[in-house]
Amino acid sequence: MKNLIIIFCIAAIVCSCKKSTLELQNPNQITTETFWKTETDVQSAFAATYGLLRDVNGGFWGVRGIELGNGRGDDFFIRNDVADLYKLSTFTNTPDNGPANDLWNTSYRAIFRTNQILANIDKVTLDATVKKAYIAEAKFLRGLNYFILAINFGDAPLIITVPATTESYFTAKSPEADIWKQVISDFTAAAADLPASYPSQWIGRATKGAALAYLGKAYVYTKAWANAETALKQVTTMSYQLMPDYGDNFIAAKKNNQESVFEIQLADVGGTDPWAGENANQALGVTTAQEFAPSEVSGWFEVSPTDKLFNEFKKEKTTANDFDPRMYATLIWDYPGATFYRKPFSSFALVFGYHSMFKKYQNYDQANELTGSSGASNYASSNNERALRYADVLLLLAESLTMQGKVQEAYPYVKQIRDRAKLANLPGGYSPDQMMAEIMHQRMIEFARENQRFYDLKRWGKLAQEIANSDKIGKQFFVAGKYDYFPIPQNEINSNPQMKQNSNW
Amino acid sequence: MPIKILRVMKLVLILLTTTIMQVNATSYAQTVSLNLKNASLKEVIEELRQQTGYHFLYKTQMLNETKQVNLSVSNEPFLEVLEKCFAGQPITYTVVQNTVVLRRKTQADNSPKQAVKVTGIVTDERGQPLPGVSVKVKGTNNGIITDGSGKYSLTVDNASGVLEFTFLGFTKQEVAINGRTEINVVLKEAQTALNEVVVIGYGTVRRSDLTGATASVKGSDIKAQGVSDITRSLQGKMPGVTIESAGGDPGAGTRIMIRGVGTLGNGAPLYIVDGVPTASINNLNQVDIESIDVLKDASAAAIYGSRAANGVVLVTTKAGKNGAPVVQFTANYGKQKIANEVDVLNAQEWANVSNAAHDNAGLPRLDIAKNPEQLGAGTDWQDAIYRTAPVQQYNMLVSGGGEFTKYSVSGGYNDQQGIVDVTGYKRYNMRVKTETTKGRLKFGETVLLSREKFITMPGGWGGQGGNPVGSAAKMIPVFNIYDPTALGGFAGAYGPVVNVANPVAQLNLENINREFTSIITNAYAQVNLLPGLNYKLNLGYTNSFTSNYDYAKRYTVGTLFSHPTNDINLNKDQTVLVLLENTLNYDKHFGKHSIQALAGYAYQSTKYNYTAAGRTDLPDGIDQIDAGAGISTTGGRKTESNLVSQFARLIYSYDNRYLLTASFRHDGSSRFGSAHRYGDYPSIALGWNISNERFFESLKNTFSTLKLRASYGVLGNQEILDYQYSAAIASNINYVIGADQQKWFGAIQTAFASPNIKWESTKTSNIGVDLGFFNDKLNVTADYFIKKTSDLLLNVPIPGSAGAISNPVVNAGDLRNKGIEVGVNFNDHIGKLNYGISGTISAVKNKVIALGTGSQQIFGGQPTHHGASSTLTEAGGSIGSFYLIKDIGIFNSQAEVDAYSKDGKLIQPNAAPGDVKFQDTNNDGQINDNDKVNAGSPFPNFEYGFGLNASIYNFDINMYFQGSQGNKIYNGLRQDLESTNLDFNYSKSMLNAWTPNNHSNIPRAITSDPNFNNRTSSRFLEDGSYLRMKTLQIGYTLNNALAKKIRITSLRVYASADNLFTITNYTGFNPDLGRTLSVLDRGVDFGHVAYPLARTISLGIQLSL
Repeated sequence: MKNLIIIFCIAAIVCSCKKSTLELQNPNQITTETFWKTETDVQSAFAATYGLLRDVNGGFWGVRGIELGNGRGDDFFIRNDVADLYKLSTFTNTPDNGPANDLWNTSYRAIFRTNQILANIDKVTLDATVKKAYIAEAKFLRGLNYFILAINFGDAPLIITVPATTESYFTAKSPEADIWKQVISDFTAAAADLPASYPSQWIGRATKGAALAYLGKAYVYTKAWANAETALKQVTTMSYQLMPDYGDNFIAAKKNNQESVFEIQLADVGGTDPWAGENANQALGVTTAQEFAPSEVSGWFEVSPTDKLFNEFKKEKTTANDFDPRMYATLIWDYPGATFYRKPFSSFALVFGYHSMFKKYQNYDQANELTGSSGASNYASSNNERALRYADVLLLLAESLTMQGKVQEAYPYVKQIRDRAKLANLPGGYSPDQMMAEIMHQRMIEFARENQRFYDLKRWGKLAQEIANSDKIGKQFFVAGKYDYFPIPQNEINSNPQMKQNSNW
Repeated sequence: MPIKILRVMKLVLILLTTTIMQVNATSYAQTVSLNLKNASLKEVIEELRQQTGYHFLYKTQMLNETKQVNLSVSNEPFLEVLEKCFAGQPITYTVVQNTVVLRRKTQADNSPKQAVKVTGIVTDERGQPLPGVSVKVKGTNNGIITDGSGKYSLTVDNASGVLEFTFLGFTKQEVAINGRTEINVVLKEAQTALNEVVVIGYGTVRRSDLTGATASVKGSDIKAQGVSDITRSLQGKMPGVTIESAGGDPGAGTRIMIRGVGTLGNGAPLYIVDGVPTASINNLNQVDIESIDVLKDASAAAIYGSRAANGVVLVTTKAGKNGAPVVQFTANYGKQKIANEVDVLNAQEWANVSNAAHDNAGLPRLDIAKNPEQLGAGTDWQDAIYRTAPVQQYNMLVSGGGEFTKYSVSGGYNDQQGIVDVTGYKRYNMRVKTETTKGRLKFGETVLLSREKFITMPGGWGGQGGNPVGSAAKMIPVFNIYDPTALGGFAGAYGPVVNVANPVAQLNLENINREFTSIITNAYAQVNLLPGLNYKLNLGYTNSFTSNYDYAKRYTVGTLFSHPTNDINLNKDQTVLVLLENTLNYDKHFGKHSIQALAGYAYQSTKYNYTAAGRTDLPDGIDQIDAGAGISTTGGRKTESNLVSQFARLIYSYDNRYLLTASFRHDGSSRFGSAHRYGDYPSIALGWNISNERFFESLKNTFSTLKLRASYGVLGNQEILDYQYSAAIASNINYVIGADQQKWFGAIQTAFASPNIKWESTKTSNIGVDLGFFNDKLNVTADYFIKKTSDLLLNVPIPGSAGAISNPVVNAGDLRNKGIEVGVNFNDHIGKLNYGISGTISAVKNKVIALGTGSQQIFGGQPTHHGASSTLTEAGGSIGSFYLIKDIGIFNSQAEVDAYSKDGKLIQPNAAPGDVKFQDTNNDGQINDNDKVNAGSPFPNFEYGFGLNASIYNFDINMYFQGSQGNKIYNGLRQDLESTNLDFNYSKSMLNAWTPNNHSNIPRAITSDPNFNNRTSSRFLEDGSYLRMKTLQIGYTLNNALAKKIRITSLRVYASADNLFTITNYTGFNPDLGRTLSVLDRGVDFGHVAYPLARTISLGIQLSL
């Protein structure tokens, strides 16, 4: 019996477990209760939000973003290697198109994050001015993401708070006009409280100038010309200037220059894998240059300029009877002495029947696109994407003035663009239509491959006409109205009972 | 302790200490055959000892006065033969357990016809007393029943009479009294299926007492096959247990599903090996398996409560038995070959098809296709990667034991090269299992060690070919394999074609392997507290290490794949499980009542940690991180989860007729928030052995067994990731900042937490019947069940607009499975021919009752590298149903294209003659996802297996067939290959593409196809039914005489064929799909990342010393 008692005692001891056995803390991650304490927490939250702008899959300035932002334009060709990209560039895409859906999801992820910052900033003890600036910065980023959604999708859910309950995951779409209202409201608030500049360690974040420029651009997109003029004119009073050499805007050595109003920061630092996703292994450069480079220099030649763009550049020569310097900076083609990646042009094959390849943003002074600046064998380019250049401010302002009939006031802004391109002065006395034609021509060649052309054509109402009047593969499949926007992603419709597909899809 | 037993033990003790001891034994046999003429009793004893393994204790002098024996018996029970041998001898004997103790007859022994009192104890073979045994003097009505301790006392008139011992479920035994006053008898259990011992959770139960639905396979039924894992050889052998290959990769193993898909998350059953939960049983050694028992219904599995909803697989490894060491050695050597390649074009054929496709699209022809007639056959990429690969296995097992300790020790080596070049698998196993009894105490342990090495192929190089198997099908045959001038030595694709990698280069330029070391240990101590009451402390510890190695050499393969530096990535993880269980077991028979009661407490903790490191730019030929010049990467994390449980069970049987099992488990899990931490899992089951009723006796000649069973219970599931209930901040979401463009560390909440998640629970009702005919020669077991799962734990898709990067786990809905399963076996002999036929069949239907928000639809199964999903799971339907746009033929003319319109608008405006016509299901004038229709189920109407084994003289043959009927498979690789949309290689069927002069059912060749002829549609959905000859084995066993001559116990040699043939209409590699992990894409064949199944022919030996 004694043994029995001892055994029961032992059993009782091993049985008695602490309550904490089932109360475990995640050792890998802190939780929302312990976050939002210091200014560093707020800054980390901003890094996590900015980062989505260059997300490899869904960031508007990541590789897929550049492909879908340009791919539908009359100046751009995408080969049929990645079927979804080929489909959207040939207007045969469907609501389950991967890159388009990733753009939607990534934009909303950024919005969720900005909403978190706005909802939690009060938990952090901050100087009032500093806090206002952070709120302004969060609103800039939210406005920018709604801007991306508005130009690509039109109608979309408008979410400006953090979902509190499971039910609030499901939001119906709002009309495009309401999205634009939010964009303008956010940019207006951002412009009021953002600093005009940052100390050197924070260069790259959104400034007052960026907010004003985007506010002006949003007004242009909504045809609020007078408001656009007001906002954009303020930018011209700040310290922005065109780079004397147009091509300097697209090389890694001249990042964050005087022409840069808002720029996506990219560098081959962090991890080694550009496709690793949001973790420490993610290389913080961009793979676009490698995907666009010809196969002769380890590229995947996914895209090509059309001959329509090539010919558009040739329409007007410089005062020295040379090609537009922007043509040399944007394209590489078979001209005397042409070299690319330290090789003569003759070592390259033009595989799609078009006459040129993209040079803009390529690391063409390297031997190939393989090696990032860190020496790692990945494809991460350190070249920043210039999201909004001062040249855009000038041309948008010229357009705002022209559309209000103030053609004379538009001349000096167009002249700045033309002067840099070494083009002769415009004849005086242009009608608004003539001036608009000039602005349209300038925008096409000034901003090739900069996610502008397709959206410009759309707001000008010229999509159907210009696509038909081009050598774009798949132009016969364009249906006016339908392909102006991406459809609501199928996954959104599948998982959101409140969501309905747009009527023409 | 009974006085009589004490006396016997004293006697034994004296004999042990004072006399010459002769203890010998081999294995036990029930029956003996003797043909003796004038044999001395000593010779007789020696013969009996050899045949039965019983020990004989005697003094040599005792045999001096004995008579010679003349006896001829064939296959008679040992105890009867013993009786005959000692009839009339001056010696009598007592059987104590497995020992026969001889002693001289006393005077009383030699005086017959005198009333004597005979006493004794009746035990079973394990030495447990048997109450309720009928003891009767033969031919009289003089009889008595043994008491609760198995003792009897009977006064007999005639000391030379014969006692009959009868007890249900045991073989009747007759013992001549021979003047003895003490006769202890060991009753042997009758060898019927109902008397098998079935392993259930925390114990065993006789099949006749079983009320739950279980399926079992004995180790001896798993014949050595040319396969590397045990589960594969179980396919089709257990009704209601679906075993699918998890891929053809060497060592890939299988996925086991019990009674259909009971959950939408992790549907793997709970594996318990010798009392310890393990992640998988694929790494166990086939020869180590004593039995595999599968607990299917709530009654059987409820004792494992929270983790048992998907069923429980209990593996018991072999234990040693009393007697001299048994040494077994098995060896197997075989060759494997791919069962089925896909038919693709050669270079010339490809160029012709490609040119036609470009011409039709109005796009320029590819340079490499310009001169088809000069290309010839080109490279056969499939030939280049597949090989005939050897497989070999060697095992050795030593077991034995004495009175106090039994042991079983084994070791194994397994080496399988893959049918895909470079790949392979090696495994080393070692196992020790012992049990020691000392008085009231019993101690034991199992230690299972295994080390596996998998050499696998790369998953893909970022290109669109997929893994080398997919690339070999898609790689254009015009390209070469080798290019000595290229970095790395391999050629590859160039020009404007899809970036498919050279599969030979993939296999040789990236070395990937995984080493998995597993330690499974179990130790227990049991003490007998009171008669029938045992306390057991069971400790389990498992520790498994994975080490992954990935070394990518520097290379340039064609123009599309470049990798300028040698890079290495290593990662290691470790999972440690600690299990502590305290159980009290009470086992008591009194009168007609029998009780088995269990109460227990268990604590289980699982800790996981992971570390990764890598570096770029290593010198050629060096694969150590320290040598790298480039960037370092690191990573690491850990998780922990705990489970605390209390449980109890009662198994009650009255008169072997009425059975009751009730169990209860209370579980607490750290995976849930404090509000929903605990779950309760009750179950109850009833059984009725109708054939033991008196009224049934007249039927017993034909209808030997009839038992009805019914059960109901609730089981749980907690298979979700840890910490889902708390809102975490994800870190290292970085950006670049500042004039010097440095990394800016980022962190934020990226996904939603699920604070209110709770246990998933499954209510199972089961009714079953066990039937036996003709003395149980024919046995049938049938079960019908309804399993209703509620609060399904699932990552339900939330809208992208909510902004989370992943979907939160929620209790998403309800699911129902209904099914029927039948197992049959028949064993008999015709003369010298012994044969057995067995079969299983099961049918399960699942239905989603409710899901998420009500209208929630979960799409899954993207069958190709890019492309739309193919399955849908929604309320009212079956899980992962195919949901596809329907193809309805080919447009044979422009008139047909134009005629296919709605309100004057073409439904397929981009179509041309030769394109596929799709059904506008919703009649909205266009073809899109809203036109999808339910196109079939990935689940079969029924699955079955059947086998035949037979032996005659020394030959045996064993064959097993297995199949499924009525399921659909989506052939993803065919979707890629039976279309010229993209520039890679095509299926042979494209030679028969539609042209104006050839109206075939293969759409026209067109590149950059605007009609999407190869869109995800019903065109690529195929019938997945198949019948496979899984095993054919022919063996020869050396006859005893010859075996004896070469001093071995037995030797069997055999030839075996695995997967000899498969009858199916399915055109992919294998209708028994591999790889799919999610139940939502169960029927989708991801052919571009598959590993085809091999056909294996092997030779083997099984030797016992």
